[in-house]
Amino acid sequence: MNDDALPATSTEDPEHGVVSGRKPGEAARLQAITKSFYGIPANDRVDFELGWGEIHALLGENGAGKSTLCSVLAGLYQPDSGEIHVDGTKVDLSSPHQALEHGVGMVYQHFRLVDRFTVAENLALGHPETGFITSPRSLERQVAELGRRYGLEVSPKASVWQLSVGEQQRVEILKLLYRGVRILILDEPTAVLTPQESRRLFATMRAMAADGRAIIFVTHKLDEVMEVSDRVIVLRDGERVGSMETADADPATLARMMVGRELPASGRSRATPGEPVLAVRGLTAEGDRGIEAMRDVDIEVRASQIVGIAGVAGNGQRELAEVITGLRKSKRGQILLGGVDITRASTLERIKHGLGFVPEDRMRTGMAGGLPLSTNLALKAYREPPLSRGPLLSRRAVDERARRLEKQFDIRGVRGALPTSLLSGGNIQRTILARELSARPRVLVAAAPTRGLDVAAIEAIRRILLDERDAGTAILMISEDLEEILDLSDVILVLYEGRIVGNLSPDGATPEVLGMLMAGHTAARA
Amino acid sequence: MTLSLGDFQLTVEKRQETSRLVRMAAPTFSVAFGLVIGALILWASGQDPILAYTEMVRKGFLGRLALTGTLIIATPLILTGLAAVVSFRMKIWNIGAEGQLIVGAVAASGLGLWLGDRITGPVGIVLMLVAGAVAGALWAGLAAVPRAYLRTDEVISTLMLNFVALSIMNYLIFSSFSYWRDPGRATFPVGRFINDGLFLPRFVGRLHIGLLLALATAVLLWWALKSTKWGFELHVTGDSPRAASYSGIRVDRQVVSVLMVSGSLAGLGGAIEVGGVLHNLDPRALSLGVGFAGIVVAALARLSPLGVIPVAIFVAGFTNAGPGLQVLGIPSEIVILLEGILFLCIVGGEWFLRNAVRVRRGYRSARMSAL
Repeated sequence: MNDDALPATSTEDPEHGVVSGRKPGEAARLQAITKSFYGIPANDRVDFELGWGEIHALLGENGAGKSTLCSVLAGLYQPDSGEIHVDGTKVDLSSPHQALEHGVGMVYQHFRLVDRFTVAENLALGHPETGFITSPRSLERQVAELGRRYGLEVSPKASVWQLSVGEQQRVEILKLLYRGVRILILDEPTAVLTPQESRRLFATMRAMAADGRAIIFVTHKLDEVMEVSDRVIVLRDGERVGSMETADADPATLARMMVGRELPASGRSRATPGEPVLAVRGLTAEGDRGIEAMRDVDIEVRASQIVGIAGVAGNGQRELAEVITGLRKSKRGQILLGGVDITRASTLERIKHGLGFVPEDRMRTGMAGGLPLSTNLALKAYREPPLSRGPLLSRRAVDERARRLEKQFDIRGVRGALPTSLLSGGNIQRTILARELSARPRVLVAAAPTRGLDVAAIEAIRRILLDERDAGTAILMISEDLEEILDLSDVILVLYEGRIVGNLSPDGATPEVLGMLMAGHTAARA
Repeated sequence: MTLSLGDFQLTVEKRQETSRLVRMAAPTFSVAFGLVIGALILWASGQDPILAYTEMVRKGFLGRLALTGTLIIATPLILTGLAAVVSFRMKIWNIGAEGQLIVGAVAASGLGLWLGDRITGPVGIVLMLVAGAVAGALWAGLAAVPRAYLRTDEVISTLMLNFVALSIMNYLIFSSFSYWRDPGRATFPVGRFINDGLFLPRFVGRLHIGLLLALATAVLLWWALKSTKWGFELHVTGDSPRAASYSGIRVDRQVVSVLMVSGSLAGLGGAIEVGGVLHNLDPRALSLGVGFAGIVVAALARLSPLGVIPVAIFVAGFTNAGPGLQVLGIPSEIVILLEGILFLCIVGGEWFLRNAVRVRRGYRSARMSAL
C-alpha cells in the first residue's frame, strides 16, 4: 500500500541547504482586512500573522470568512480596506498572478487543472519560464525531485483525468512549488480526501514547513487542527475570535470559539432494532466504465437501526447507493424492501415503497440547484395531495409546505425565488433531509451525509439521523468519515473493491481496525 | 475576472441578485441603445434615421391596415415563439419549429383538401388545426425519440429535419403532381385551394381568429408551466436531469413529451397559416423563416410565454413595415439588420444583468495618491 509510505518529516538534504523548522521573520501579515459582498461583511477587520516554517490552521464554520480571507491573500479579491504585508513589505495583490510573483499561491477546493494535459504540461502551463518550445525532460526531472522531497509523487507523464482526487491535489501543490511559491494556502484540502490520503497530505505539509515554507491550512475539522498545525486562528461571522498556539489549544475550546457555544457531547444511544426492512442479496453492478464495481454484496438493515458502510471512496459505495435507489441497474442479485422485491422497480416505485435517499452529490442529484427552495422541498411530494390534484399543482400548497419544513428543519438563508444553490452546505443538506424525511420513509439511504459541512451542521444532521432511527426508520449510511461511522452505526460493514470485507459492531471496532480493512488488510478481520 | 486598461481596472463579478427596477429598465435601455446604433448605420448609409424610424412605426403599427397586417404576421410567430419557449425552458433545443410548421401546414392543407365540402365550418376547421398540431408533434417526435433513448443531439436532428420538411413541401408542389398541387395551373405550380367553408373566420379586416387562438395558447402554456405537474417536472428536468430521475421523474418520457408539445405548437402555427391566410399549401409563403424567428422571439421574451406576445407583435411590426420602407428608397433589408442589432443589444443587456462591472483606478495611481 503506497499510501502508507510516508515521507520523512524532517528534511536534512544538505544539497538544498534546508534549514528545518520555524525561523524568525514574518511570512505574511494581514492587517484589519475588511471585505464586504453586497453590504454584508465577509471579513471584518481581520488581523492575521503567518510565520515562516509554520503550519497555521484557519478554523471556522462554513461562511465564517475563511475562503474570503485566503482569497484576499491570494490576490483573487481586493479588500475594501486593510493592508497586506508579504515577507516584511507592504504589497498590493490585485490579481492571483501578482500574488504568485510575491510567492503566494493557493490550492482551491475545486482544482484548476486541464484534464487532458499531462501532469508536466499542467505545470508548464502559465509558468513564466514556459516559452513556445518546452523542454519536457528537465521539467519532468524537477517534478520528480520536488515529488520525492515532499512526498508528492505523481507520474509527470500521466494525464490528469487518469489521476485520483488525491493525486490531482498533489499536482496542484506541485504547480505552486514549481512556481517557487513559499506561502501556500490550502483551502479545505482534506474535504475531498480519504483518511489515508489526508495523513499523507499532512506529512507533505510538515515537510514543506520544515523547509521553511509557510502554510495556511483551512479546515473546519478540529482533529486535523490538533494533528498538524503549529498555530490556529478561529474566524466566526467574518471576525477573528481567537488565535493561539495549537499546543495550548484543546478541541473543546476551539469548538466553542468556532460556533460560539458549547457543543453537545455526542453520547451514543442505542435503539433496539426491529424487523429487517431492507435486504440486499448477492448484489452485483457495473460502474461507469463497464467494470464490476460491486460484487455479491449482502446487506440487511432492520427498523430502528443504522448500518454504516465504511470504505475509501471509489470502492463501490456510489454504485451501491445508486443500485438500491434505482438510479443504476444491477447485474445480479436481489433487493427487498419490506419483503417486496424492488430489484427491477423504477425509481418512482421505490420512492412509493418508502425509500428515501440522501445522495452524495447534493448539488446536482439531490436537488435542482437553479430552482427555488420551495420546489426542491416538493421534489417528491408534488405528486400527491395536497400539493397536487390530478394533473394540477397548487403553488400555494407548495409554498406553504416549504415554509413549514423550513421552520421544522431550521433551513436558513433563502428568500423567495432565489436559486437553492445559494444556500450554505449545511442548509442544503437540511433541505434534502427535510424533503426525504417528510415523506416518512421506511428505509433511508444516506451517502456522505455530513461531508464538507461545518461542526454545528454536522452535529445537527447526525442528530436528525439518530432521531429518525429512533422513530423506527432503517438507515443505510455510507460514509468515509470513520468517526461518523463509529459514532452513529449500530452495525458497521466495510466495503473494499466492491465487496463487503468486514462486519463489525461499533463497540468492537476501532479506527485502526477499520482503516486496515478499508485498505484491504483482510488479516485485520481476525 | 479583472482586466487592466492602462491605469484603469475593470472587474467583472457575478451578481447575486438584481433589483426589479434594473430588470425592468435593462431591456428598455438595450432597445434604445440598439435603435441608436441602427440610426448611426442608417445615417452612415445616407438615409434619414428619423424618417426611417417614424415610417417604420407608422407602417408597422399605426392605423387599422398596418396593425391588422402586423397582427396577421405575428400570429404564427407567437406560436413558433411558444414552441421555442417550452423546449428551451427544459434546456432542450428545438431548432426545428420551421420544419414542424411546414409539416403542420402540409397536414392541415391535405386534410382540408380531403374534407372538401363534406365537412366544413367549425368542425372541419378544428379537424384541420388538430391535424396540423399532430403532424408537428410527430415530426418533432422523429427527433425526440432518438434524443430520449439514444442521446442523439436534438440541435442537429431538429435542424436537419427542417430541410427534410422543406424538401417534402417543395416536392409536393413543384416536383410532382401530388394531391396538394393544383392540376389546372400549367404555368406556375400552385397548391390547390381548400373549400372556403374551411377558412378561419375573420373579425377585423383580414385579421382572422388564428390570432385569438395564438393568444389563448400563450395563456394556456403560461398556466400549464406554472400550475401543472407537467410544468413542475419540466422545470426540474431542465435544471438538473439527474435530480429529476432521482426524484422519480422519467426524464426520457419528459423529453419526448416536451419536444412533441413544442412541435405541436409550431404545427398549429402552420395549420393556422393555411386556414387563415394562404388557404392552400404555398411553399414560398411557408419558408420565410417564421420558425427561426420564433427562437429570437422566445429569447427576447426571456422564455416567458406571455412575454412572447408583445415581442412577436413588435418583431412582426418591423417585418410588416419592411416593404413600405422601400417606397422611401430605404432598402427593406434594413429591417432585418435592425432586428439583428436589437437582438444583440438585448442579449448583451442580459449579460449586464447577470454581471456587475466595476471600474476603478489602478493600484499605481492609488499608490501615488497615498504618498
